[in-house]
Amino acid sequence: MDYNELLTCALDIGELMLISGAEIGRVEDSVKRIVSAYDIARADIFTITSNIVVTLTPESGAPITQTRRILKYETDLEKLHSLNHLSRYICRVKPDTDYIAKEIARIRKMAPHKLITQVAASALIAGSFTIFFGGKFTDGLISALIGAIVKLLVYAIDKTQVNAVFSNLICSAVASLIAFAFVRIGAGQDVSKIIIGNIMLLIPGIALTNSMRDLINGDIIAGTLRLCEAAVIALAIAGGFILVSLLFGGVAA
Amino acid sequence: MSAFVQILTGFLGSLGFSVLFQLRGKKLFFAAFGGFLSWSLYLLFGLFFQSEPLQYFLSAVAVTIYSEILARILKTPTSTFLVSSIVPLIPGGALYNTMCRALDTDFTVFTESAAHTGSLALSLAAGIVAVSSVMKIINTVTVSFKKR
Repeated sequence: MDYNELLTCALDIGELMLISGAEIGRVEDSVKRIVSAYDIARADIFTITSNIVVTLTPESGAPITQTRRILKYETDLEKLHSLNHLSRYICRVKPDTDYIAKEIARIRKMAPHKLITQVAASALIAGSFTIFFGGKFTDGLISALIGAIVKLLVYAIDKTQVNAVFSNLICSAVASLIAFAFVRIGAGQDVSKIIIGNIMLLIPGIALTNSMRDLINGDIIAGTLRLCEAAVIALAIAGGFILVSLLFGGVAA
Repeated sequence: MSAFVQILTGFLGSLGFSVLFQLRGKKLFFAAFGGFLSWSLYLLFGLFFQSEPLQYFLSAVAVTIYSEILARILKTPTSTFLVSSIVPLIPGGALYNTMCRALDTDFTVFTESAAHTGSLALSLAAGIVAVSSVMKIINTVTVSFKKR
């Protein structure tokens, strides 16, 4: 048994889980269970939102440590499901590392929904929530259009690898700008309803929920980090909106 | 009528997010159905209680139980269903109002609005965490019971 390879596999799974949207507790628990399925004297795992460190002490031999730095998240619950499945399988069957590596490569390659599907989903979200918060049907349609544009914008900005604050500021500003423009030309009625729909699209809901779960689970550092991250993004969204509103002379809420 | 429209659009919004979170097949449907459930229950609790945070809390409790149960049946992380299900409960409207208040010069109105948004987010989180914690206890008990 090559413990270095085992550790690499376990960390690959942990890293992918964290990127795909798992809570810290789940990542630590999965990595611990995976390595503990083999003859391990001791495993120490420390995870925060941007880093995983694992030190493994085999029954015989020197301890090994590996670290992963996580720079970017991409929520993919289907991948998370498969990873969860794989880690359960590993604990039960204890397969060799070649098999695990092959499975990880397969999960890594799982394709996300096509861009057009994601654009349509974004339009659906923005349009739905505009109507949800009391907007008229035409406002919903405008909101859906803006939602589609915002998703394309997010996609384009992601390619440039700019930071999340700037990207959210731009998206929120562009969404607000188009909303104001549509209302000015008389196509839309209620600018606030159109913007609310798009805020629901941008809001870091998953980060906020996971941060609370981390905090209560006792992962205080990770929870605080995620909470700050969510707060900063929310502020960026507010900033983009406020910037545009001031240009257009404020809104009557 | 407006309640019906809200429940329908809440469902569609959750469906959209389930797609953005890359769910497929029946998991996609169950996650979106959670959105339908969360807002229906929010409105239902509104008939009995006059407190918005309490409605948020109870609805979050119900929808987390729903997600936990489904997750155990379909052998998948709770997040799979929970994340999309709570989408209609995310206080985006309240947050927007707070943002508008930030543009006003009246600071007291702004802080009041911000506190309101915060209380809703907190109630939502408290509901989720309350159920997760209880589930954890149940898990520990059943595992140690099986070991005997």
